[in-house]
Parts: sequence; C-alpha cells; structure tokens
Amino acid sequence: MSTSKTVQELNRELAKKLIEEGRTNPQSVYAGKFVGIANGQVVAVADNWDELARRLRQAEPDLSKTFGVEVGRDYDVVEEIWGLR
Amino acid sequence: MPRVLWPLLNDRPIIQVILGLAQGGQQVARNLRADTGAGTAQSGFELLLDEHDCLLCGGIPLQGALLGGAYTGSYPVYLVQVRIPLLGFDQAVPAVGVPAGPAGFDGIACFQFLNRFTYGNFADPGQFGLEM
Repeated sequence: MSTSKTVQELNRELAKKLIEEGRTNPQSVYAGKFVGIANGQVVAVADNWDELARRLRQAEPDLSKTFGVEVGRDYDVVEEIWGLR
Repeated sequence: MPRVLWPLLNDRPIIQVILGLAQGGQQVARNLRADTGAGTAQSGFELLLDEHDCLLCGGIPLQGALLGGAYTGSYPVYLVQVRIPLLGFDQAVPAVGVPAGPAGFDGIACFQFLNRFTYGNFADPGQFGLEM
C-alpha cells in the first residue's frame, strides 16, 4: 500500500465524517462550506470551489494528498446525464 | 460584454476550454459538448471529462458523484482549473471523471457550467457561444 493511498484513505474518512456531521448538525461550523483536507486534517475552508482550490494549493502543494468536500451537499443524489453516447 | 463562438462539431454545440493552471503543470485544450440536459443547476459537478484529463491537469480529488442515464454508477470528481481565455474565465470547477467522454467529444459542459454564462447561437445557426 503506497503512502499516498493511505493519506487518501485518511482524507476520505474525514470527509465522510464531515458529510455526516453536516447531515445531523446544521449548526456545524463547516455547514455550507467547502472544506479542504490534506494528510487527514482540515487545512482550508472556503465559500466556493475556486477559493478552496487556491487555499488547498497553498496548504499542500502535493495535490495527491488533498481532498475536497462540500459539507451539507447530499452526495446520495443520483445526477442524470441523458442519452449522449 | 466578451463573447466567444465556436463552430458546431458533428452538428452539435461545443465549447472549447483549456484545462490546467496557466502557470506550471500540464495544460490541454478540449472540445466539450454543450449539453443543458446534463445535470442540473444544483449538481455537484459542472463538467464531465475523461478521468485521465482530470489527473493530467492536476485535479484535486473531491467527494464522488452518483450518475444515472448515459453513465450509471459512482464516479470520481476532481476540482480542475478551467480557462476560456477570450472570456477571461479562469476558475477551479468540479468535473466528474469518466473512462471516456461521449463519442466525438472530449467531454461534456453540463448545465451548471453553461448556466454561468449567457449561452446560445447568438443568431448564427452554425455556431454556439458563451457571453459573460
């Protein structure tokens, strides 16, 4: 198992917790925010994706160790892409 | 207001974007099929790209998305820097990564992305364009 894979697993675990926290606690400090994670820790919080990208690049230049999540979004929704193939 | 128009490709509307940071890293130009029927105004992604392009351009991994319709299942999403120089557009945009885009195109510009702009043929049936 590579180091970066382990980091991504940590990142995804934290993202999952943040998503769950957003579901159960609308008063969460991260509710409605775009949260950047690096090396298993929250390193950036922003109001939109563009801002988050800039902050994450500053916090962790190795983007393979980063991860982003929108807290409060329902990630269980199925998004339809109509017949295009 | 700046406007850019592209000729139809395979008789379909397209937009051309440059993926990747302007300074440093890999940059690639891509023809994306403009499709207002892809996703909604509230989708968690704005583009659909070949996953290889997302990685090539230094995409930041995001929480994945569930797709239905032409693509079904769980797919990775990346935050990708997208530029349309003639419009001065240069922003990080969430893009879902798929094994291959629709035939004849490099990907899809979904409704949420097109909806950032005024879009249409601007009275020229042979072209499609965006205006900021």
